[in-house]
Amino acid sequence: MSARGPSARGPSARGPAAGQPPRIMVVSCPDLHGPDPDPVSARLLEQVIAVVIAFCPKVEVVEPGICAFGARGPARYFGGEMALAARIIAAVADLGVESRAGVADGLFAALLAARAASPAAAAPARKESVGPRVPSYVRCAPPTPQGALADSSNAIMVVPPGGTAQFLAAQPVSVLADQDLAGLLKRLGLGALGDFAALPARDVASRFGDAGECAHRLARGLDPRPLAARPPPADLSVAREFGPPEARAEPVVFAAKALAEQLHAGLAARGLTCVRVQIRATWADGRESSRLWRHDGLLSAAGVADRVRWQLDGCRPPPGDADAEQHPQGGVAALRLAPDLLVRAAGQQLALWGETVVSDRVARAAMRVQAMLGHEAVLRPVLGGGRDFAGQVTPVPFGEKKEPRLAADQPWPGRVIGPAPGVVYPAACEAEVTDDAGEIVTVSGRCVVSAAPARLAVPGEPPRRVTGWAGPWPLAERWWDPAAARRRARFQLATDDGRAWLAVVQDGRWLIEAGYW
Amino acid sequence: MPVGEPGPSRVPELPGVSGSGTLPVLPVLRELLPRGGLARGSVLAVAEFGLLCLALVAAASADGAWCGIAGIPEAGVLAAAGLGLDAGRTLLVPEPGPAWPQVVASLLDGCEIVLLRPPARASAQVRQRLEATVRRGRGVLLVAGDWPGAQVRLRVVTQRWTGLGDGHGRLRACCAEVVADGRGEAAMTRTRWLWLPAENGGVAVADPRDLPADFPFDVPAADLPFTDLPFTRAASALRAVSAG
Repeated sequence: MSARGPSARGPSARGPAAGQPPRIMVVSCPDLHGPDPDPVSARLLEQVIAVVIAFCPKVEVVEPGICAFGARGPARYFGGEMALAARIIAAVADLGVESRAGVADGLFAALLAARAASPAAAAPARKESVGPRVPSYVRCAPPTPQGALADSSNAIMVVPPGGTAQFLAAQPVSVLADQDLAGLLKRLGLGALGDFAALPARDVASRFGDAGECAHRLARGLDPRPLAARPPPADLSVAREFGPPEARAEPVVFAAKALAEQLHAGLAARGLTCVRVQIRATWADGRESSRLWRHDGLLSAAGVADRVRWQLDGCRPPPGDADAEQHPQGGVAALRLAPDLLVRAAGQQLALWGETVVSDRVARAAMRVQAMLGHEAVLRPVLGGGRDFAGQVTPVPFGEKKEPRLAADQPWPGRVIGPAPGVVYPAACEAEVTDDAGEIVTVSGRCVVSAAPARLAVPGEPPRRVTGWAGPWPLAERWWDPAAARRRARFQLATDDGRAWLAVVQDGRWLIEAGYW
Repeated sequence: MPVGEPGPSRVPELPGVSGSGTLPVLPVLRELLPRGGLARGSVLAVAEFGLLCLALVAAASADGAWCGIAGIPEAGVLAAAGLGLDAGRTLLVPEPGPAWPQVVASLLDGCEIVLLRPPARASAQVRQRLEATVRRGRGVLLVAGDWPGAQVRLRVVTQRWTGLGDGHGRLRACCAEVVADGRGEAAMTRTRWLWLPAENGGVAVADPRDLPADFPFDVPAADLPFTDLPFTRAASALRAVSAG
């Protein structure tokens, strides 16, 4: 998790008036913070976001538990930044979630302000439970800077406009996400961000490279990368309403082609192109379908129209669905194309599909299925290395860069050799292997089998007699990482129906990883 | 009727334009199929998903065809690659969902061959619609499961693995009896014994008379795949105890 990553496309990119630094408010829920929230906290997080959106519609979720938005407008409406933050914190507290708020010029400073607003004085008992969850980009509690208004009881810190540079200067360099760089700066005698920010930008760039330059911009209170262009003053999206709602797809697609030409002309006139295009169709019954499609400035108007067609196809109910046929959706009432992530048109040609050439016909078929089922539903297998059969194939969503999870050119000692199984379960399925006496076969810590396996029972199927077996072949992986560590003993079993199985014992349970048939 | 040789189908093929009339299969599988290959525009059914399905699509993929695999999340791509499947020209749709007929029809527009296990029973109407799509696109639909309209039906009748002993050895090869029948020119029942897979991971012709009587083989301990690990000695000790 990085504090500098999101701010590149943070709320500031949408920008207020030119020349004025953006005021960003960050609301953080330390109890819900974590890279991988469980379902309960994920639901709570959704509720928290909904509460914040009630105050300001343009909220960006920076990472789970932390969201940010441009504070200038809402603060004016609610009577000041402090009042706005207090209202949000009170509303979030109604959900039973503790939150903090920080306001500053720019996302990075606002994140740090929210972190510094830790209500240590108000709730010392709470601090212990919060402590271990402090995110990686803040290593120690930063000192409260002069001039910043900290309301400890309400957990709000407001860095006044223009005070951000002073606020950042007092922070230790260890708040930077890049810990290698932070360590290096400390060894060079630069303890605070202010010392680092005082260095000339050119020298920083030549000495520390791209990452250093990015951190230097952060330290000076700027966005980590220079923004490509002034945000376009006019709304570049194009829309068309259909007088009587259009039930057939063809006229909508035809209109989409004209709309796309209009969109491209509008972008080209400003020397811009978009990374993605958002297609939003509204049906007469009020339903909406909105999807983002990769554009990269490479799609023709016909290409955009194709995507509209696929998206409409994907929203149609399957033909066998009698219920849906009885209640038609009434046709498309409006179609809107909006450019997303504007960048300066540099005339670059990107290889859209990675290394292998994908013919247009296959790409169309794959993307049509993606339009129906979602981006992750169409996969291309990439062969890699690994000790599991399942791990040796990395499925990559169609259109993304193909790289195996584990390198293929390593020796991978301990993998099962011999013919590969034709059936590899993505998640190993439960099974029971018993001996002649009907007891579950166990494997001791020293890899001694309790008895010869005699029966294999897979749930939902009659038990099979084991006619041959080999093992246990032990495998202890990633013992240095408690979360990923696995100890398994593998067996190959042949059963009386002529099939063979790759079974493993893990934590005393039998699992079937693959089937040889 | 001349037997269609699996000709060079590397010529760029457009839907609706037939290259040769068949897609190639592995040489040992030719005798099982009426035209010595997968006839374009036809539906084949294999009784159950397994290595046989992957072996049937492997040669066509190696020859330049795109292959779609729908509804089979557990398809062993590694084994298929060992048989010749080009993973770079493979599309996987593990969960095609309730709209699977549309998904398969879309895949057939882009891929010459689609391997499908229908997630639900296909009604006659759905089957006919898909068969028409296959005919129109000159592709091949290979169904793992029941498909009443299939031109060719294949199934593995018996299979036996070699190489596993009682606590020792490892899986080496599988001797399988494959039966093919179907409609029209495929009506004659054909039976072949195959090593599926053979010890090198490919497919080879097997002769059931070659199999020794005391099948499965008793593999000497020196053949164990992990002879350098201590458990091998433990396993030998265990065998000695259980034998004694």
